[in-house]
Amino acid sequence: MKCCHLWVGGDLLMNIENSLILGGQKFESRLLVGTGKFSSVDVMLAAITASGAQLVTVALRRFNRERPSDDLLSPLIKLGITLMPNTSGARNAAEAVRAAMLGRELSGSRFVKVEIHPNPHHLMPDPLETYDACKQLAKEGFIVLPYMPADPVLAKRLEDVGCAAVMPLGSAIGSGHGLSTAEMVKLIIADSGIPVIVDAGIRAPSEAAAAMEMGCGAVLVNSAIAAAGDPAAMASAFAMAVKAGSAAWQAGLMAQSGHAVATSPLTSFLAGDQA
Amino acid sequence: MITELPPELDPSSWLSLAHLASESDVRRALSASVPTEADFAALVSPAAEGLLEEMAQRAKRLTETHFGRTISLYAPLYLSDFCPGGCAYCGFAADRNQPRRCLNRDEMLCEFAALKAMGFEEVLLLTGERSPQADFPYLRDSVAAAASHFAAVTVEAFPMTLVEYRELAAAGCVGVTLYQETYDPVQYDVLHRWGPKRDFANRLEAPSRVLEAGIRTVGLGALLGISDPMLDTLALYRHARALRRKYWQSGITISFPRVCPQEGGYQPPFPVDERFLARIIFAFRICMPDVPLNMSTRENAGFRDGIAGVGISKMSIASRTTVGGYGEPTTSPDGQFQINDDRDIETFFAALRSKGLEPVFKNWDRVYNLDQ
Amino acid sequence: MKILVNGIQHEHKGRGTLDMLLNELGAQPDAVAIMVNDQVIPRTDRTAITLKEGDRVEVLSFMGGG
Repeated sequence: MKCCHLWVGGDLLMNIENSLILGGQKFESRLLVGTGKFSSVDVMLAAITASGAQLVTVALRRFNRERPSDDLLSPLIKLGITLMPNTSGARNAAEAVRAAMLGRELSGSRFVKVEIHPNPHHLMPDPLETYDACKQLAKEGFIVLPYMPADPVLAKRLEDVGCAAVMPLGSAIGSGHGLSTAEMVKLIIADSGIPVIVDAGIRAPSEAAAAMEMGCGAVLVNSAIAAAGDPAAMASAFAMAVKAGSAAWQAGLMAQSGHAVATSPLTSFLAGDQA
Repeated sequence: MITELPPELDPSSWLSLAHLASESDVRRALSASVPTEADFAALVSPAAEGLLEEMAQRAKRLTETHFGRTISLYAPLYLSDFCPGGCAYCGFAADRNQPRRCLNRDEMLCEFAALKAMGFEEVLLLTGERSPQADFPYLRDSVAAAASHFAAVTVEAFPMTLVEYRELAAAGCVGVTLYQETYDPVQYDVLHRWGPKRDFANRLEAPSRVLEAGIRTVGLGALLGISDPMLDTLALYRHARALRRKYWQSGITISFPRVCPQEGGYQPPFPVDERFLARIIFAFRICMPDVPLNMSTRENAGFRDGIAGVGISKMSIASRTTVGGYGEPTTSPDGQFQINDDRDIETFFAALRSKGLEPVFKNWDRVYNLDQ
Repeated sequence: MKILVNGIQHEHKGRGTLDMLLNELGAQPDAVAIMVNDQVIPRTDRTAITLKEGDRVEVLSFMGGG
């Protein structure tokens, strides 16, 4: 994540810009929102509006003639946000690639969230199929955002094949177990050349803030908003939390109180030296 | 902005912070669980001078966590001191009047045997800039010869092409060290008076070629004292980060060669004292906890003993910076630089052990890697 | 002709163009993506397709998803 130019006393202190950049597109909001599990389309639209999200995921499902109003395309386009079709339902790379092609056809957007979870219970992403799918889709000109296990090596592999960001899971989809993968996410952030977006498992705005304070480029939240008592209000809370965490990261967090361990001094070999 | 440096290496926008950071910036950097570039700048700043002991404590804990209580050992072996170069600070510069030597195969084997008898398993082969006597084929063939004797063969010579580095890898080279000397192109131009080393960009890009060629590790460094050490330290940090981000399957090591004023010799215009050197080492250890940090025998015994295991994880000992010199008693003239720790191995090991550090000659075996 | 639409038997009462099929299904052409026999049919190529007996058609639209 980068921030804006900061001039202090006439001197350029740091080189920073405030937007999230994915595939060459700038987003002011660092909160991405999913559209699943809402009680109704109207509730979902109100929540998205309250969240300020500019990049929103959708799934492809068979058209249902009995429920034509379930279609999200036109209401979401009216909100002026960018759609990111996901490939959920795909069990392997070939299916994910096909789902991505269909999604691009329908949305006109090059964004795709590669999501391949063969196990229907824990919904953990398949690293091998995900890698294969991303490699193919990046070549086809998609802006690829893979949902992946929080693995630092896999993150670099995905970056190497052309993904625009990586999306390590915080914990299992819908589990609400928060950032159980925090240590791995920190390792991913340390070496990543692309934005790191925590996806899945975030339950509370404080967890979203924590992810931003770690240096994440953005967070993606779905279940926590959709299942809240008042989704629009929760969406608004998440928006504030992401802004707060992001601002805190830029401002530089205070030192933690020292873990003072009394040991013999290590620098006496340097005392009074002028060599 | 320094136009000769690519943006990911140019430290210009961090120089102010590195000079103006406050004590609270340093404290924050010391407690950060994943230190950022701003933290690195704070840790090398003058404000960190007052927190040197705290930095040392953190550096020691991190060195123990990532490297255990061990020090890796290697020996430098100069194959040749023929050099067409004109580096103002170097004992091998072409205008220094001294007889030059280049080891032939028999002499090399004698040196290898002597080093193996001392216990060394990792050897660093050195030459000057490309010369007719010590050209690329000579270096490559020397690597091949050394590879059948030592567990790890590394090289510190001249910038090579991608094709040459690939050949070096095939011959058995597992690491290449190449110091930029200084990342300031203006000062670089002044100091490298003639010769192929004048090409700043070629040298700067060479470490990328090393890793691109599939060589396991690249060693970076700036020669402290020949130019603004703050600029060089920040650029070195950025260089290491950039290489790590791109060549994420490769290893980086960092060294801290420091030019000290020599009698009647080169006077460094920006002398770095021991406390500043220690601060730089601690800053790298804190901000790059898993990168091996290397110390040669340029520094004296007291400094080396103090810094071993406190940031530094790898050291040479019982070194010669003249050509050869291990196999037979040296009557050679001056080496590349003056050795200030001339203790023998046993004395050095006793010093390490008294600090609770175990010297280690070998960390891995080539038999596990199919590409060798 | 009898074709499969979204896995279910469907009696198509037209000449086999995709526009006519979508009309039968009550689907807005701009709100759906189509596959015929596992091939993604780009919007620009829809008029080139003529369905035949036994074809498998998938008609998809965006629904909620994370």
